[in-house]
Amino acid sequence: MTPLEKTDLLQGTLDLLILKVVALGPIHGYGISQRIRQISQEVLQVQQGSLYPALHRLEKRNWLLADWGESDNGREAKFYRLSALGRKQLAAEEQTWARLSSAVALILQTAE
Amino acid sequence: MNTWRKSGSRGQEDAMDREISHHIAELTEVYVAQGMSREEALRRAHLEFGGSEQVKQTIREVHASAFIETVLFNLRAATRFLRKSPSFSLIIIFTLALGIGANSAVFSAIDAVVLRPLPYPDGNQLVALSQFDTQGRDANHFVAPIRLEDWNRMNSTFTAISGYYLDDISETSGPFAEKITEALVAPRFFDVMGVWPALGRAFTHDEMRYGGPRAVILSHRYWLSRFHGDPNAVGSRIRIDDKDYPVVGIMPASFQFPNADADLWEPSPMDAPFEVNRNLTWFNVIGRMKPGVKLHQAAADLATVQAKLGKQFPHPDAELGINSESLKQLTVGTTPSSLWLLYSAVSLLLLIACSNIAALLLARTAEREHEVSVRYSLGASRRSIVLQLLTEVFVLALLGSLAGLAVAAISVRGFQLLSKTLPRAGEISLNWTIVLYTLLAALVTTFLCGLVPALRGTRKSLAHSLASTSRTQVSTRNPVQWFLVGIQVTLAVTLLLGAGLLLRSMQQLGRVNAGFDAANVLTFQVSGSWAETTDMKNVIQRINRTIDTLRTIPGVQAASTAAMLPGVSSKYQMEFKIDGNLDPGNRILADNRLVSYGYFETMLIPMLAGGPCQRTSTTTDVVVNRSFASRYFHGNSPVGHSLVDAAGNPYIGNAIIRGIVGDAREDGLDTQPAPTVYFCFSAPNPFPNYLVRTQGDPMAMAQTIRQKLHEIEPGRSVYALMPLQQHLDDASTENRLRTRLLTLFAATAVTLACIGLYGTLSYLARLRQREVGVRLALGAMRGQIAGKFLSQGLRVALAGCAAGLMLGFALSRFLKGMLYGITALDPLTYAGVVCLVIGVATLASLLPALRAARLEPVRVLREQ
Repeated sequence: MTPLEKTDLLQGTLDLLILKVVALGPIHGYGISQRIRQISQEVLQVQQGSLYPALHRLEKRNWLLADWGESDNGREAKFYRLSALGRKQLAAEEQTWARLSSAVALILQTAE
Repeated sequence: MNTWRKSGSRGQEDAMDREISHHIAELTEVYVAQGMSREEALRRAHLEFGGSEQVKQTIREVHASAFIETVLFNLRAATRFLRKSPSFSLIIIFTLALGIGANSAVFSAIDAVVLRPLPYPDGNQLVALSQFDTQGRDANHFVAPIRLEDWNRMNSTFTAISGYYLDDISETSGPFAEKITEALVAPRFFDVMGVWPALGRAFTHDEMRYGGPRAVILSHRYWLSRFHGDPNAVGSRIRIDDKDYPVVGIMPASFQFPNADADLWEPSPMDAPFEVNRNLTWFNVIGRMKPGVKLHQAAADLATVQAKLGKQFPHPDAELGINSESLKQLTVGTTPSSLWLLYSAVSLLLLIACSNIAALLLARTAEREHEVSVRYSLGASRRSIVLQLLTEVFVLALLGSLAGLAVAAISVRGFQLLSKTLPRAGEISLNWTIVLYTLLAALVTTFLCGLVPALRGTRKSLAHSLASTSRTQVSTRNPVQWFLVGIQVTLAVTLLLGAGLLLRSMQQLGRVNAGFDAANVLTFQVSGSWAETTDMKNVIQRINRTIDTLRTIPGVQAASTAAMLPGVSSKYQMEFKIDGNLDPGNRILADNRLVSYGYFETMLIPMLAGGPCQRTSTTTDVVVNRSFASRYFHGNSPVGHSLVDAAGNPYIGNAIIRGIVGDAREDGLDTQPAPTVYFCFSAPNPFPNYLVRTQGDPMAMAQTIRQKLHEIEPGRSVYALMPLQQHLDDASTENRLRTRLLTLFAATAVTLACIGLYGTLSYLARLRQREVGVRLALGAMRGQIAGKFLSQGLRVALAGCAAGLMLGFALSRFLKGMLYGITALDPLTYAGVVCLVIGVATLASLLPALRAARLEPVRVLREQ
């Protein structure tokens, strides 16, 4: 599939994606960007210029916790994991997203 | 967001770099795997990652805004928390308002009196110079005009040296003569001060010469009162005594030298024919040191100058030394040491308040353990929780310090009211320095009060308390709390000791027999001018006539004049020869005072032998006091013997001792009477102090006396009318003020320490309710329980008391010079302090102890 332009990513959606990906287990920044690309089948390509500020913002909000560790190929990397607060936040955002997308879908269907 | 970058830790930047290079390394591997050369792969990776500096900048902004968000969040959380328990918050704010306010108030005085230079350009370069007799025969410190000019010409460390003296004159253009104060100034006066007229000009060279044109410069205050601030005053004339003087300039309002009373300045030429006599001295000398020159360098330079003069004029210059003192030091005198004493006291008080608040907060955080552990489990770091707890305290301290500023503002008004008796008190003001200081105090207070509770309240071990549901998990030993109470008692005892010593000194001073009776004595002056002294006979006649007139007024019992008021310090010592003999091993040193006939009668100083000063007496008639007679005549009667000035001053002839009077504390109530020689002379200067003993309240006679004197001297004004007692009180203002304030601070300190003791014991009793309940249920006596709590409180009070006595003893040397009639180890004070502290500590502990023992065991056990 053709990748979406980065501006197409809804404001706030990136946070949700990151939280969801991190929820699967501790992961470093590069891994997050790869994972989002793979799962979305290359549709969503996160720019590093947005990814890293977002990671730091989530860490500052105590939603993500970070530790330094070794990556698969033995390099030093910063691993992010979800805090209890982050888990709550993820649940809340997932719910919001579900309501939002079903609402949008509803409008699109009705308009047809 | 550079500020963040600078203030943020280096680790933050480093971590960011490492994270980004990891990403690029991973990307590079991908391209290498696709078959690119490593170099090419790295280039591609960088290209794909985009501008890494830009990414880093965005991350930095995230951190910076997060920092501000955290601060705002903490502030909001703090306000919310404080609003939830308003009485708790108000108590702390009120305590801090008083603590910080008192501190800022005293600091404002220190800032104005001690720290700030005198209000002249480069005021710290100004020096007061005086001459002194190296043989200690003569305490006269005034300087001869010709010597002043020599100093100015021969030195190498001064920009200029000048001088002044004060004269009272009458401004006679109105229907009533008005007494005004003029400063007669030597050449270069304005150069030394560094201040020139705001309107008009300074004196010209011609005006500074003997016989030159007349000129005066007005003070801003006098310009306002006499000319209503009319700029045309410059160029107009005022009438002084019987001569017209052109006004050539107006000084700026801030210029108040030599003092705030100076109404005008007039040239005092240095080239008058009578000014060649090196023994005639009347100038107060001031000098401005060259930039960068220090006082000791100037003093060394002047010593060389005087040594040269000594060779040139062996008599008298070889026996003269030069005393140099910074003008500021001369102006403020002993006030700085009093102020530092008060400052230490208020700082101790603030420390007590802080440890009190710390104890309150400790109890509080103990109750918030649950909240803290929840935050931990939600992933908050200890740092962020500590920061939040500190923010709460900071909000309290900030509110407290703002209220404290109001306290300081009121105190500043109080200080200004004392400007008549406290040097530079008029300069004390609430300015930005004080506001900044107060905010700084709030910050320091935050850490003093908040750090220990915040750190104790967030210990990691507490995180587990979430798991344990027991409500009695709180430690009941609380050594930190008791330590804080101990500190409060220690500091309170220290303050109490200081206050006690000052109070005892004052009490001792009150018991002193002055040797004269200041009650019902009215004092005043009648204007006169030094110019009149060209005809001394006339001055003496005028003053004697005034004294005689006063004596005829009904209700007046006695009247006299004196150069200096009794009981007001005027160290003026001279060396004498008795009957022309000089014994170097037994020098005859004595204070001397110039008094008129009727003086001993007015002051009720008893005649012991011989007779008092007579109306016909001249300076060759003297009366000595009992100390003089017993020290220098060893039981023989001195009456009839002669005294001569050992320094050979020709103006004091061969004086005959006419009588002996009782010892009186002429030089101040706190000074032992020294051997004293009274010269009988009713006109020591043209405007001596009149002393009138009245039948009743002296001020009730004021109007009658004014009227009567107007009848005989319509051209002269009567001024400075006040009871002698008022002068004596003014002389001890500083002493009374510091004693009262220190007592007030000590009382507050003791109260705070008691509240601390009471609060801590009550809190502990509450925590141990269950234990007490069990004990009571098991048959313990209520008395035992109460005794246990009581002894716990008293043990801490006793330990604090012992520590406080030691600290107070160590610090009491700072009270040296302020104590009178007791030593710093006064047993009565120590005993009193111990009794007082143990007494109030017992009361403060008894209440919570009794309450703890009155517990109903069944109810408590059921509740818990």
